[in-house]
Amino acid sequence: MKLQVIVNGRAHELEIDAHALLLDVLRDGLGLKGAKRSCDAQVCGACTVLVDGLAVSACTYLAIEADGREVLTVEGLAEGESLHPLQRAFIDAGAVQCGFCTSGMLLTARAMLAENARPTRADVLHYLRGSLCRCTGYRKIVDAVMAVAETPR
Amino acid sequence: MSARPLRVVGRPVPRVDALEKVTGRARYVTDLIVPGMAHAKVLRSPYAHARVRRVDVRRARALPGVFAALAGADLTWCDPYYGPAYRDRPVLAIDVVRYEGEPVAAVAAVDEATAEAALELIDVDYEPLAAAMTLEAALAPGAPLVHAGQPPAGHFADLSTLRPEPGTNICHRFDFARGDAEAALAAADVVVEDAYRFPSVQHVAMEPHAVLAAWDETSALTLWASTQNPYSVRVELAKMFDVPLARIRVVVPHLGGGFGSKTYAKLEPLAATLARAAGRPVRLAASIPEAFQTVRRCASRVAVRVGFRRDGTLLAVECDADYDVGAYADIGPRVVQKGTYTATGPYRVAHVRLAARAVYTNTTPGGAFRGFGVPQLAWALESLFDVAAERLGRDPVDLRRQNFLAHGEEFAPGDTPIDGKLEESLGRAAEAIGWSQTGAADRGRGVAAMLKASVAPSVSEAIVRLHTDGSVTVLASAVEMGQGTRTVLAQITAEVLSVALDRVTVVQPDTAVTPYDQTTSSSRSTAMTGRAVQVAAEDVREQLLDIAARSLGIATRDLALADGAIVSPGRRLTYAEALVARFGMSGGELIGRGVIAPGRTAAPLGGSTPFWEMAVGAAEVSVDRETGAVRVERYVSVADVGRAINPLSLEGQDEGGVVQGLGHTLLEEMLYADGHLLNGTLLVYRIPRADDAPAELECRFVENADGSGPFGAKGAGEGSLIPVSPAVANALARLTGVRLRDLPLTPERVWRALRSSQRTDAR
Amino acid sequence: MLRPFTLHRPATAEAACALLAELGEDAAVYAGGTELLLLMKLGLLRPRHLVDIKRIGELSDITDGPRLAIGAAVTHRTVERSPLVQTRCPLVGSVACHVANVRVRNVGTVGGNLAFADPHSDLATLFLTLDAVVELVSPRGRRELPLAEFVRGPWETTRSADELLVSVRLAPWPRESAAAYVKFGVHERPTLAVAVMLSLDVGRAAGGEGRIVGARLAVGCVGPRPIRVPAAEAALTGASPATVEEAARAAGDAAAAVIDAADDLYGSADYKRDMVAVFVRRAVRIAAARARGVEPAEQFPHAVVA
Repeated sequence: MKLQVIVNGRAHELEIDAHALLLDVLRDGLGLKGAKRSCDAQVCGACTVLVDGLAVSACTYLAIEADGREVLTVEGLAEGESLHPLQRAFIDAGAVQCGFCTSGMLLTARAMLAENARPTRADVLHYLRGSLCRCTGYRKIVDAVMAVAETPR
Repeated sequence: MSARPLRVVGRPVPRVDALEKVTGRARYVTDLIVPGMAHAKVLRSPYAHARVRRVDVRRARALPGVFAALAGADLTWCDPYYGPAYRDRPVLAIDVVRYEGEPVAAVAAVDEATAEAALELIDVDYEPLAAAMTLEAALAPGAPLVHAGQPPAGHFADLSTLRPEPGTNICHRFDFARGDAEAALAAADVVVEDAYRFPSVQHVAMEPHAVLAAWDETSALTLWASTQNPYSVRVELAKMFDVPLARIRVVVPHLGGGFGSKTYAKLEPLAATLARAAGRPVRLAASIPEAFQTVRRCASRVAVRVGFRRDGTLLAVECDADYDVGAYADIGPRVVQKGTYTATGPYRVAHVRLAARAVYTNTTPGGAFRGFGVPQLAWALESLFDVAAERLGRDPVDLRRQNFLAHGEEFAPGDTPIDGKLEESLGRAAEAIGWSQTGAADRGRGVAAMLKASVAPSVSEAIVRLHTDGSVTVLASAVEMGQGTRTVLAQITAEVLSVALDRVTVVQPDTAVTPYDQTTSSSRSTAMTGRAVQVAAEDVREQLLDIAARSLGIATRDLALADGAIVSPGRRLTYAEALVARFGMSGGELIGRGVIAPGRTAAPLGGSTPFWEMAVGAAEVSVDRETGAVRVERYVSVADVGRAINPLSLEGQDEGGVVQGLGHTLLEEMLYADGHLLNGTLLVYRIPRADDAPAELECRFVENADGSGPFGAKGAGEGSLIPVSPAVANALARLTGVRLRDLPLTPERVWRALRSSQRTDAR
Repeated sequence: MLRPFTLHRPATAEAACALLAELGEDAAVYAGGTELLLLMKLGLLRPRHLVDIKRIGELSDITDGPRLAIGAAVTHRTVERSPLVQTRCPLVGSVACHVANVRVRNVGTVGGNLAFADPHSDLATLFLTLDAVVELVSPRGRRELPLAEFVRGPWETTRSADELLVSVRLAPWPRESAAAYVKFGVHERPTLAVAVMLSLDVGRAAGGEGRIVGARLAVGCVGPRPIRVPAAEAALTGASPATVEEAARAAGDAAAAVIDAADDLYGSADYKRDMVAVFVRRAVRIAAARARGVEPAEQFPHAVVA
């Protein structure tokens, strides 16, 4: 099947199988390794990418569903060398340890802030309920998101 | 060299690898591509214990796109057994499977779909056998034996004293005694005893195990592996394939978490075997359910008896501990030995009798997991300590303080004296939790303390290279698994050589390039690898000072390093200029070397711990009495770390340790029924989520620069996890009067205990 | 990793049914895929044909009427944000907001949730209190049946292989009513869920007492399928603000008595029964407070209140 998709602002046309998963097309087809395969069951969020701004589990999402849509991966968050405020905040807050959950956390937070620019801490916890981390204990991740949320723009 | 304020050590600088991680550029094993790479899948046993009568891989082998299909019987050209304590674990099952999930056959194919399809073409005849699924079942007379016969010793010379007991499921025993515990208990004014259970839990690193193995045209092997000790993996493979160590190269990119699950060989032998059979590179990546079938924490049942004098002096400790180490020993015997060694915790006690057994069961092998046997023991001792405090009519904080080992006091003859101030950690934790203030009626508070030795003897070596432009490369084999070791090593180097942090590059561990480091575990990387790096950097510093002394005609004692130059009042020689002076041209580099190898001592475990890890945890909990759900509202961890090289990343590590500890305290348990693991996926195995973290979480550090590591540092990272379960249980007991002895403290368990206590109204 | 299949994308419900009839057991209905693709990855389902229903217009609509109709392919997210749902069945929006996690809500559909009959479904439990009726279409035409007859047991519905779930139709509660939904559980899927609606006599200002004149109570996630509990509803009916606490207790006990609970990973049967009683009481208390115009702030660990 033909897949026409804009990934991180660039248009791609790929020939894919109906059963191809978005995570594999991104990682192996397009070489975008930022999204990770972890639980492979939609529970952990390590594979999160945004499709038309909505967070999806790329591990359980048919690539063909992205046809005609825009996909954002972690590689598309920065603009050139200029980091997205969330990326900057994660670095500054010490919210990155092994990094395997990081891209999922960043994209989920970005989607949340697009919907709700002034979340409470409880809002953030609700949104991140499906994003697991084993290293950080979450506190600095939530701090980082709140720091961006509370910054006037 | 006069003491000068530190410029970068002790600063909360951003991690050196943060940028690549937030931009998705950091590379983990499954992100790597080697041309011609094949993909492997593993066929795993559906039985906990069975004879393997026949494995027929012919149809799989014949499937187009399959490069290799192997069963245990095919492994005639290598030594198919491996394991750090005993070489009891076959790469693929031979004649028998000993746990559900054990690899029985494996396939390498052109892609994952073909490999999966090939697995379905493999026929296996199993003859199920009775299985020993629990400690009780494995220790019962007439129990099914997980292993018959005595396996050869593993590759650690210091573990060669370990011996299993043939004819039983006892994999190892550790006994330790001092004084006369029995008599002391008989004479004690207050004796309390109880038995505590710690569950099987899985590390759930977000990145499951992964390996990429490639043999080259000279029959040398290169592996990219998600491993915490590349040198241990290398030794294992060298022995397996009878290849010199120098021809085996293990490279370690970023790890997506380890926590002990990636210590010692796991999937590397199988990947290397497949790569050899396939004649091409092979990537073997486990899934999370497969991680549950690869390694876990050793579950335990610990019975403790403690005796006190009326005035609160701890007189005696007796401990009988059984650890369930699963179907293969892995490092289980050492977990048992080393954990039990500090079963008496951070206390002074004259009379001790400790007896521990590592027991085989037909379950996922138990191995190293953050805490290494100590969480299981601290769960027991620290819980019982509070029971004793109540019996004595004493405040639990006060009773601990009274019995703490003092700074400089001996723990055991021949071992390092206590190198920290436990009472300082305790005091700060108690104050932070508001111990002496009346708490809310619906909240309870509890504390717990821990003491743990680091692995000894051990070896860490490092090389530091100063280049002609003044930039620096650090070669060390401490693995970056999220704990921030690359950043710490860079900070130490930058500090010693007085260069900007971004001028220092710490390369990934690579046994062909970075020198020997025993292991990234045991909280040792800052203290040991860091010290090796410090010594190597100081070696370069000395060389720079010598060059400058000769070049400038100034005595070295009047020279210092500052901002990439050797300076003296009115004089300045940049490093670049120094190298030109040394080599007479634009070229060359200065190489410094550090070797930290304290060697064997008379200490009971064969080496003196390089530092003692000590920490205190204090919890404030509430409980929903109708459901039994416990909430940790506040938690304070105070760790005595000597010097926090990077306080920001250390705080993050300890926050993570606390929350991971809440996992086994409140949520996590691997559940088996009829020989099957019921909850080996994240759909039903519940690790803490963001909303499980305590609303108030503080991780603090005592820094008295009293460690033997760089700048007075000791070790950290396990101390935050170990006290969590007893602190929470103690808080719950103080709130409800109910004492639980089995983890996790699920809502149902707590509910049942509350009900039962209401009925009997006795404790 | 999925095994190969052919993806069909019919434009009408009739075309979809024709495909289902033709392909039989080789086909699966596919909307969000959050359940289906997971089962396929695990190898538990191996359809060689997926019939994608997302291009069928009527399945993607939320339509007003005497009943509120939610198309089968409407995502949880759309339900959560729909002004129409907010107006007509506000609790449905609040519950949709807590299904699984944000990624599943963005992609997963109401129809998929009901058609899979996952025993731990939030929505099915709530919908029972809204007299939910499902609309099915097949080559033989359309039919409607109550949700309680549609969901037969765990992972089992009365849908024939060539039938397509088109919509679920909800009867909005009376204006003078208050409701609450509470789910409890440690795991990814809840251990139990309670939905209660209390319909009230006319409020105090108009001369009424705030008495409960009718009740709907459903308990789900704990048994093989969600159920209404008539005995609990009867215990609540007639209660006044003064007696609602006692009525809540009776309702809880009644629900616990009829629950078909078994020992499993989510808990022992006796624990679950006791928790049903606890959370029925709590849900009733919350609804009763809302009836008085008070929004309770109480949160319970491992419980979600909507």
